[in-house]
Amino acid sequence: MRSLKIKAQFLLAILGVGTALCFAAPFRAEAADLSGIKGPDTAQIAAKGDPGAEMTGTVNDVTVADAKAGLTLADLANQAGQNKIAINFVWTLVTGFLVMFMQAGFALVETGLIRAKNANHTMMMNFMVYGLGLFAYYVSGFAIQMGGCAPIANLGGVYPLNSEYAVTLFGKPWALFGQKGFFLHGATYDVGVMVLFLFQMVFMDTTTTIVTGSCAERWKFSAFCISTIGLGAVIYPLFGNWAWGCGWLSQLGVNFGLGHGYCDFAGSGVVHAVGGLTALACAMIVGPRIGKFNRDGSPNAIPGHDLVLVLVGCFILAFGWFGFNPGSTLGASGNGCLRIGSVAVNTMLAGCTGSFGALLYMWMRYGKPDASMAGNGLLAGLVAITAPSGFVNPLAAAVIGWIAGILVCLAVEFFDRVPKVDDPVGAISVHGINGLWGVLAVGLFSDGRSNFGGSWNGVPGSVTGVFYGDPGQLVAQLVGISTLVGAIFTLSFLWNWLVDVFVGQRCNPKSELAGLDIPEMGALCYPDFQLKTQDYRTAWPRKIKEDS
Amino acid sequence: MRLIGIAVVLGGWCITLAGLLMTSTVVARGVIACVGIGVSVFGILGVLNSYYLARAIWKK
Repeated sequence: MRSLKIKAQFLLAILGVGTALCFAAPFRAEAADLSGIKGPDTAQIAAKGDPGAEMTGTVNDVTVADAKAGLTLADLANQAGQNKIAINFVWTLVTGFLVMFMQAGFALVETGLIRAKNANHTMMMNFMVYGLGLFAYYVSGFAIQMGGCAPIANLGGVYPLNSEYAVTLFGKPWALFGQKGFFLHGATYDVGVMVLFLFQMVFMDTTTTIVTGSCAERWKFSAFCISTIGLGAVIYPLFGNWAWGCGWLSQLGVNFGLGHGYCDFAGSGVVHAVGGLTALACAMIVGPRIGKFNRDGSPNAIPGHDLVLVLVGCFILAFGWFGFNPGSTLGASGNGCLRIGSVAVNTMLAGCTGSFGALLYMWMRYGKPDASMAGNGLLAGLVAITAPSGFVNPLAAAVIGWIAGILVCLAVEFFDRVPKVDDPVGAISVHGINGLWGVLAVGLFSDGRSNFGGSWNGVPGSVTGVFYGDPGQLVAQLVGISTLVGAIFTLSFLWNWLVDVFVGQRCNPKSELAGLDIPEMGALCYPDFQLKTQDYRTAWPRKIKEDS
Repeated sequence: MRLIGIAVVLGGWCITLAGLLMTSTVVARGVIACVGIGVSVFGILGVLNSYYLARAIWKK
């Protein structure tokens, strides 16, 4: 009873103090308040060390602008600002490094899914895509995409990127491309711009590496080089600008009242659908591999040479995706960035349910759980959650991933049987179809509870899909899909058609049947192994007559 | 044939953009965008791909 009385008195005392504080004048720290703050004795640290971390990271570590004036409030404010930006720089750079490592995952997946006689060729395409893409993006891609994106508060503003080319049509502004940052010269030699460049560059490289999968085993290496440069220098950056660089798609909310404009948190559309649709254009132009289709048009399965590579590659990609999606906050401090936890869990869940969906579909349809399709299901789930990862709850993420896992199996069958487009690794289905599904999913499942600094794309409030009351967001996403399918596919097709006319996209049939390692690269990937190669005279009898 | 295909694919996108300007109704814009997407997909798979299918390597 006595203890209860003491507790009640204690509570009343706390309430009294709290009320007094509420009605008191706001606390104002004076300069005098700071002058007395002293850090730990450095001599003591020098003598004994600091094993318990009690004397490290104190007021001693705050940079003082004027030693005579001592520590001021301005010093503390500057330190707080720099700490925020430092956290965001480190976060964005480290997640960018993770995304860069995805190149290794793509290389393993694609190489594992093709025949051993083309392993060097496919590996080299995945290796060189990094350098070629980087160079193209450095020359012009970054400027076109992000040249007018300022300000980005999480990275300290990136104020030099302040020039966007726009035209006014039918009384509305249409922002088309950025104009600052070519060769990263001039004012764009800026710490924030450098961080943004690195992060955006590795995203672009993901797009370019998607195409190498769909054209594997018959793509001329020289044609691949030129095609990749065009994609990295112009095609990808253009859509990147429209969606992420303050371009017209992102402004559909401001200019046309469609939700928050086209929303793509980490790039289901910008990265994966652009890559997948370019892969479709290239695969159509290059044509199917010899032996993929019979004379009656029925498809043959051409199994890959190493499932270990495929599944290890999928794991690496899933790991890298934790950079892809959570890193797209461009920071871990401020403007709702703490949602990175939710983004990471959504990513994890969608990948998991994606592999479940594909596994179960293949098991039920063909009687066996297919390993390569389980891997593709994982990737499909990850691709699909990339756009909505910042805007949806975990349950929706699981559903989106599950649908993606089934969708990828249906799409692979569809492209094999109906349009008869040969895609050795399923890149069109994984990245193209599920990239578009991810874009659509934003307009369906966004729950209106994300809060990234109070607004998105200049529209106050949170992104909300049609299931939570905003049909305008769904329409904005549909306009984005139409732009991808109508405009970006066309650009990719035209560019690769030109490459076909002037360079030629496809290897000659003798090289293709022998394997591209020797004819295209000059060395076998597995020189100690005995490889199975087809004789082109038996595989393609009419061609030998033409050749002879 | 390829130029016709490209025109159809681009035409689908133009339909979607026209929908943005023609009406301010969300539902109408959504329906027109779906039509635009359908036209573009037809251009890709129905026109462009048909051109390449007719010349496919496995038909030779």
